[in-house]
Amino acid sequence: MKFNKLVLAAVVLGAQTVSSNLRADAATDQLDALKKQIEQLTEKVLILEKQATTAKIQQAPAVSLNTNGLAGVAADPRVEQLDQKVRILERQRELDLESAAEKAKQTPRVSLGANGFSVTSADSNFVFKVRGYVQADSRLFASDHVGSTANDTFLIRRARPILEGTLYEKYDFRVMTDFATGINSSAANNGFLQDAYLNARFLPEFQVQIGKMKEPVGLERLQSGANLLFVERGYPTQLVPNRDVGLQIQGDLFAGKLRYEAGVFNGVGDGASGDVDASDDEKDIAGRLFATPFKDSGTDALRGLGFGVAGTYGNQDGAGLVSKYKSPGQQQFFAYRSGAGTATAPNVVADGDHWRVSPQASYYWGPFGLFGEYVISDQRVRRDAGTSSFAHVQNTAWQVAASFILTGEEDSWKGFTPKNPFNPAKGGWGAWQLAARVGQFDVDNRVFSTSGSLADSATSASGATSWSVGLNWYFNKNVKLNFDYEQTDFTGGTSAFLKNSEKVFFTRAQVSF
Amino acid sequence: MNSFNFLKTASLALALASAAQAKDIKLLNVSYDPTRELYQEVNAAFAKSWKAKTGDTVTIQQSHGGAGKQARAVIDGLQADVVTLALAYDIDAIAEKARLFPADWQKRLPHNSAPYTSTIIFLVRKGNPKGIKDWDDLVKPGVSVITPNPKTSGGARWNYLAAWGYVLEKTGNDEAKARDFIAKLFKNVPVLDSGARGATTTFVQRGIGDVFISWENEAFLAVKEFGADKVEIIVPSVSILAEPPVTVVDKFAKKHGTEAVAKAYLEFLYSDAGQDIVGKHFYRPRSEKAAAKYANVFTKLKLFTIDEVFGGWQKAQKAHFNDGGVFDQIYKPQ
Repeated sequence: MKFNKLVLAAVVLGAQTVSSNLRADAATDQLDALKKQIEQLTEKVLILEKQATTAKIQQAPAVSLNTNGLAGVAADPRVEQLDQKVRILERQRELDLESAAEKAKQTPRVSLGANGFSVTSADSNFVFKVRGYVQADSRLFASDHVGSTANDTFLIRRARPILEGTLYEKYDFRVMTDFATGINSSAANNGFLQDAYLNARFLPEFQVQIGKMKEPVGLERLQSGANLLFVERGYPTQLVPNRDVGLQIQGDLFAGKLRYEAGVFNGVGDGASGDVDASDDEKDIAGRLFATPFKDSGTDALRGLGFGVAGTYGNQDGAGLVSKYKSPGQQQFFAYRSGAGTATAPNVVADGDHWRVSPQASYYWGPFGLFGEYVISDQRVRRDAGTSSFAHVQNTAWQVAASFILTGEEDSWKGFTPKNPFNPAKGGWGAWQLAARVGQFDVDNRVFSTSGSLADSATSASGATSWSVGLNWYFNKNVKLNFDYEQTDFTGGTSAFLKNSEKVFFTRAQVSF
Repeated sequence: MNSFNFLKTASLALALASAAQAKDIKLLNVSYDPTRELYQEVNAAFAKSWKAKTGDTVTIQQSHGGAGKQARAVIDGLQADVVTLALAYDIDAIAEKARLFPADWQKRLPHNSAPYTSTIIFLVRKGNPKGIKDWDDLVKPGVSVITPNPKTSGGARWNYLAAWGYVLEKTGNDEAKARDFIAKLFKNVPVLDSGARGATTTFVQRGIGDVFISWENEAFLAVKEFGADKVEIIVPSVSILAEPPVTVVDKFAKKHGTEAVAKAYLEFLYSDAGQDIVGKHFYRPRSEKAAAKYANVFTKLKLFTIDEVFGGWQKAQKAHFNDGGVFDQIYKPQ
């Protein structure tokens, strides 16, 4: 009976150890230890049984053990009790795990990381996210630009907290405000409120978006301000609407290969935003089709090709619907006349049809990126100078921009994530990107007609051509630095400002999440 | 044909074609723990019958768990077309808290909307090593009893009330003795599962406990699945008549456009075919025909109803299972 006592003593010891120290977190370890002990005991028992058989000790009790517990210890109630205890502990552990898994299914998920802060309901039908980005810029102007009044400056270009989320699985919302330099709260164009809309995703192919949003026209305008290749957007953005209030239907067709957007909006001037239609009762319609036909192609070189066309049409009346145009250094190079409407002080206002059309394309292949767009903005305007005269003005702009990521990451329209975030101690230097751009703005020459000009030919240029090079350093997904040099030459105009080139060195430190 | 007539004819043809087109219908049946096998067979039979009758294909999805948990899920938004739960109280809770169907839902189908009955019996290990014969044996020292948690499981509430009712019957309605009995009984319960199926797993598959207080159908199923050489059924002298009810969840069925098929689905349970399936799965059929067919399966025993002993589910729930009730007072987790 010696080995039987040994077995019993060891099992009692093991079971007591487990039962006296049971805690949810430690239970698994204890059970594993107990199993191990039982396995060791099984081996010992087998050895002893063999010895007993050899010695013809017929009175030895029949004991069989296995790793699932003491399965058949011959009718010893204490061993049976211990066996039950072990089984109960195992089952309790099982139930605790089931309970924890069930609880996890019902517990909202909280996430804080590179994509900001978010809370998601257990069923994923409700999501609330806090995101945002801040851009701290500098603009340094070359001193040889005679006539320029711009100061070298540091500025906060954008400071935009974003609240967005989903309600009842299908209803997305987004509110983005801006507290950056120069933002104002005029009734017609409240710059504090950038986006405020609800998007009902009834189907991927059919969604309805209502509120203040970007009108679906300009390619670079539709790119997030946090993902821009250069510090300032190119000329085409100045001829397309910015944000406006309205209703838009949108969706992705053919497995996402064709995106469509069509909406009706209050209508804004070129490059402008609006919160309310303070000028007229007329509304603009805007639409865009953008195809990425090879997005699922097996040919890498084709997957990143996208192209499309966008446009607007509306009847616009009022002074607030004609625009001024700016150089990359944000200096005005063109403005319509804005006098009292007398013979000596003419005034120009929007009065009639305004249409825009913009073919556009983008292409990404590995670290290489390329995009371009062209915009025609055709607007009927009225010149009040005692008497009124009318003219159609057709301004155009284009740009082509290319980029290459030196560190090899795969580029995309929505940006990319550096493979090796900046951390010199670990040999990480972030991602580096080279960029170049050329663009042109052409003002309709009819603006400067000698009989009843719409703009002052001395202070307004008939065109501007810019080229730019840039180096972007992405520390990680959230932090980047931009270094751009951009030079602009103006055509037309007689002022010193327009006769000389604008040369600007931009920097930007951006944090986005 | 002028263009007006052409349009009219085309519209008519389109309408007829649409009407003739068979529909694919989905129903969600939120049920309690041990009914998986029952509804698998009911669903297949009903789908076949519905297809033959209407040409429509109906697919019934099942959700199972402790009845209390299941009711809570529907209250919280699980869009069941029908609920088939262990007890009327949980369905009442859905009507009261979520207002998804009228409070008098039990009047909508025969037998208070309970298409079958069952009761509570015991399952013991082969040979009945602890000599379990009746409820009194369950409170003896050293007897390990398996029953789920009455806070989450409808079956467990039936178990609890069956034991309580037994003591009242035996002692001439001595509530104090009943309370003492239940306290002793739960001292012998080493593990509380959240539902009846989990408790079956604990007893049969995990080998824990000497006796399992079980739904009658669940006990039969365990014997059938695991073999009479492993477990055997003990029928106590007295038990409770369990009447698991069913109802259409009007608001969700209307939303899904499934009102008619959901109603027909529940009515199917009362049909000859439905009642036969009920008996086959060890639930006690309501129809005389099916009851006669399966009469030899079920042992006769004295059954009391919840209305007779406890004054209905509302009172029983409030006194025993609500927070702070008798169960909370007597049960101390081990």
